[in-house]
Amino acid sequence: MSSHREAPEISKDPVADSSDLYAFVSPDHPDTVTIIANYVPLQLPASGPNFFEFGDDVLYEIHVDSNGDGRPDVSYQFRFRTELRNDKTFLYNTGPIESLDSANWNRRQFYSVTKVDAHGKATVLAAKLPCPPCNVGPLSIPDYGKLAADAVHKLKTGEKVFAGQRADAFFVDLGAIFDLGTLRPFEDKHLIGKTLFKGPGDAVNATNGLNVHSIAVQVPTHLLRRDGKKKVRGRDPGAVVGVWTSASRRQVQVRHGDKKNEDIEVGPQVQVSRLGNPLFNEVIVPMAQKDLWNSLPPSEDKRFAGFVAQPELAGLLPVLYPGLFDNLAALNKAKTPRADLLAILLTGIPDGIVPQFQNSTGDIQADMLRLNTAIPPAEKENAFGVIGGDVAGFPNGRRIADDVVSISLRAIAGATVPLVDEKFKPDAAATAVEQGLSIRDVKAKPLEHFPYLPIPFDGFNNPS
Amino acid sequence: MSRVHHGTRAVPRLSRRRVITIAASVGVGVSAASVAGLSLAGEKPAADDSAPLVISLRDARKGTFDVFSGGSRVTLTDAKLAAHLLKVVKRA
Repeated sequence: MSSHREAPEISKDPVADSSDLYAFVSPDHPDTVTIIANYVPLQLPASGPNFFEFGDDVLYEIHVDSNGDGRPDVSYQFRFRTELRNDKTFLYNTGPIESLDSANWNRRQFYSVTKVDAHGKATVLAAKLPCPPCNVGPLSIPDYGKLAADAVHKLKTGEKVFAGQRADAFFVDLGAIFDLGTLRPFEDKHLIGKTLFKGPGDAVNATNGLNVHSIAVQVPTHLLRRDGKKKVRGRDPGAVVGVWTSASRRQVQVRHGDKKNEDIEVGPQVQVSRLGNPLFNEVIVPMAQKDLWNSLPPSEDKRFAGFVAQPELAGLLPVLYPGLFDNLAALNKAKTPRADLLAILLTGIPDGIVPQFQNSTGDIQADMLRLNTAIPPAEKENAFGVIGGDVAGFPNGRRIADDVVSISLRAIAGATVPLVDEKFKPDAAATAVEQGLSIRDVKAKPLEHFPYLPIPFDGFNNPS
Repeated sequence: MSRVHHGTRAVPRLSRRRVITIAASVGVGVSAASVAGLSLAGEKPAADDSAPLVISLRDARKGTFDVFSGGSRVTLTDAKLAAHLLKVVKRA
């Protein structure tokens, strides 16, 4: 998956587990950038009586680096607090919830938003903003769309924020991919699959019908750029920002059993989850170092560059699909460092490589989702983003419908090597390989406005 | 673990003043300030003496303690205090 349960430790702590990160120039407000960080992955909608929520004991952050040093210049911090109206009932709601202050809604969550600047100065932008409830079902919440829309908050400082449940719009054939690297459209070409399958199969979206908890912020773009300019040219280094999200917990927790209100959480925040580019920790970093990676800032990513330069998956593809990746196999054998992947994932693509595009942040290697904020939204999106000729898509930031799994597969398979080596001829399979899914395989439709992610699947009808 | 709020307030059992008093009586010397790289912006030390404080004995032989309070961690060294605490624990 993009980053759902991507490392051993965080897979046991879903409340703090970042699963997807999106950053794009807002299509309906192109003078703003929207950043969405998803947490609490793989939620079954029918989850009563204890529906999913953010952790009151987790510090959630969205970071933006505007000068390329892999350190935050702007951070938005989100802290949550749960309140119980009625401690005599086991119910989440005791009647229909028709407003965010409904007396029927028993267990509510609120949050504060704090902005931290490059010097560490923290300013509380808002306090006690209500989250929407989880989508229990149509009897409990007759008009979920309206209720959730009421939970979009416009701050005095210009940002819009939303924190609450959404449908997971990420699409991935998880079952196949982690069954020895099978891609169902090519399963009959697989080393073992060819003995089991007589032809191509249809991909399955493993995350379809599941929900997440999203933290979304829409920021006037100039508030994120290094020079604060409202207009910059796409070639200007100041147009590019690097984005990542992190979750942290207090270093010490003391539990008092039945005396819950005496539990203690003290000490510095310790980062337990991080996400920049999709799939970085999931398929680039070896399992033994994934927990370490989650604890570090992007400025430390130089130590993981070797795994990008010689990715394990690039070595597996020629083995798993014999005869389809011969040119990649030769490249692997020559131990040629993958300068294309190093640029895409760790420094950004410099000017002059892809026409009308750059998202370089300089020489410091840091896993960040890099967005050139001067590139306007595409009139017609291509899910393959930059390699599909649409420079407004991944790896220029990431939009909801970008097929980041297929893009990453093609890049690792060698499709992007010619960006740095004109003599290299990618295998035909490298430019054709895909997982066989698109946003149409998510049965909830993304919104055309903030917070863009679809309304969450309700518990009455899902699963059905 | 989430702490849900419904009218009751957390009552700390161990106060900062209490721990400092214990420490001072056996001659604790604070040898390090808050730990670089762990503190995050926007996280402040506990504001008052009634805030909870947790002490961890990291190295009993050297008497190295980590003291956690609010959003900070302080390291101090006191071999005598460590020995005293170990004695108390063994008696318990």
